[in-house]
Amino acid sequence: MKTSTKSLDWGLTTQRLLAVAALLAIWQVVIWSGTLPSMTPGVAALASSIGAALTSATFWSALAQTMTAAVSGWLIAVAAGTVLGLLIGSVRALDRSTSILIDFGRSFPVLALMPVVIMLLGATAKMETVVVALSCLWPVLVQTIYGARRMDSAVVDTVRIFQIPALLRFRRVLLPSATPFIATGIRISASIAILVAVGVEVLSQTPGIGRQITLAQQDQRWDSAFAYLFFAGLVGWSIASLLNFAEGRILKWNRQTND
Amino acid sequence: MAIQAAPEQVQVATKPLLHVQGLTMSYGAGDSENKILNDLNLEVNDGEFVSIVGPSGVGKTTLLRCLSGLVQPRSGTVSVGGEIINGPHRDLAVVFQDYSRSLLPWMTTLENVAFPLQGRGVGKKERNETAEKNLAAVGLAGQGHKYPWEMSGGMQQRVAIARALAYNAKVLLMDEPFASVDAQTRFDLEDLVIDLQSSLGVTIILVTHDIDEALYLADKVIVLAEKPATVVDVIETGFGDHRDQVDTKADPRFVEARARILHRLRDH
Repeated sequence: MKTSTKSLDWGLTTQRLLAVAALLAIWQVVIWSGTLPSMTPGVAALASSIGAALTSATFWSALAQTMTAAVSGWLIAVAAGTVLGLLIGSVRALDRSTSILIDFGRSFPVLALMPVVIMLLGATAKMETVVVALSCLWPVLVQTIYGARRMDSAVVDTVRIFQIPALLRFRRVLLPSATPFIATGIRISASIAILVAVGVEVLSQTPGIGRQITLAQQDQRWDSAFAYLFFAGLVGWSIASLLNFAEGRILKWNRQTND
Repeated sequence: MAIQAAPEQVQVATKPLLHVQGLTMSYGAGDSENKILNDLNLEVNDGEFVSIVGPSGVGKTTLLRCLSGLVQPRSGTVSVGGEIINGPHRDLAVVFQDYSRSLLPWMTTLENVAFPLQGRGVGKKERNETAEKNLAAVGLAGQGHKYPWEMSGGMQQRVAIARALAYNAKVLLMDEPFASVDAQTRFDLEDLVIDLQSSLGVTIILVTHDIDEALYLADKVIVLAEKPATVVDVIETGFGDHRDQVDTKADPRFVEARARILHRLRDH
């Protein structure tokens, strides 16, 4: 933990770069060995198609479409999941009565809902946003409920002894105590958002990176398909790192107490 | 607010401030009923330091939870200043054993101490001043910006004491407050509590399993034993305000009282 928050650790950075280089080398060796179909791009072809994508307008508009749908669906899920979760988690009766619904909802394969949503909204960006929101809702909701429910008995006693009024208790005790769990839910759902957005585009041909991957595949342009795949991964990874960083900043106390 | 003389305590000392009558507590019902406390009677005078000592598992914490209003007894009453307690009360503050969990890690030390005052609607400036003053009283002047997890166990327990003092309750209840710190820190904290008690005139009830600690701190030691727990002895220590970790514990009265408590606990 120290190395990741303090200044850059050169030894570690070198090791990580070596790991990436090793992976690329293995990839190239496999290509040369001829065990993969001949259309699979080598490292050089991949690099040039990644470069080509970066300068193409199609790529940037596809990326923007995917990101818009993924981020708006994710934000809707975060807002709804946090509010609902705090409410359910802090009201005992609500928590008990809804637990079956929540358990059912979280294990429901949301992608299977896609045809129904397409029927209602068509293969549009709106449909994509709705499917993303429905998929992201569950991790946020479940984590928030768990966080709001789980207040340390010593904290509960303290709050009771000092007769902290309900609103202040919610704002200064329940909310901060639930935040690490909410943050985890938000982080998990961010990667789900990208995954589902790309998946929906592949399946329904809604404009975006997913559709570009399918189009490239149909055109036998394996190199651009792989380039798009690379960007889909990069976006997911960047969002996760960004959230991790923000979490480390905002929830400093939590990192410290868990050390 | 916290540092004030209590001149009126001298004339009201005739009537007990805290009164426990026929306190009985049990968990479960019917055949599985587990009786913890049986017909306990206690009186604690204003400004008095009382320790309640007994072996582990005798029901000391349950007693303290009844006194603080966190749990309702099966029968009997607890009253403070003539008012019957049926829930947490303005005149009762608690210092818990588990300081690391009872302080809120997302608040600074100052915010932790000021929090009960915020709950009472005290304005920010005033509550921060009170918190600062009480932090100074426990030897943590200027440390309010730190978070609890940046402090040692002993310092955290000082913060918990400051928080209870800032609440300015008439009675301070302490549940094994020094059980999880090292011996030297424990001695320091014991002396701190003695000093605070004599300078602020606050009434303290401290629960402990440590006979030496009970005797060293208190004006009156209440010995709990048996199952369900009942008062088996009450000892007035009579050491006065000035105590010393070495000399007081070597005092013949201390040695005699310790032997008496040990006998009592062995016989039950």
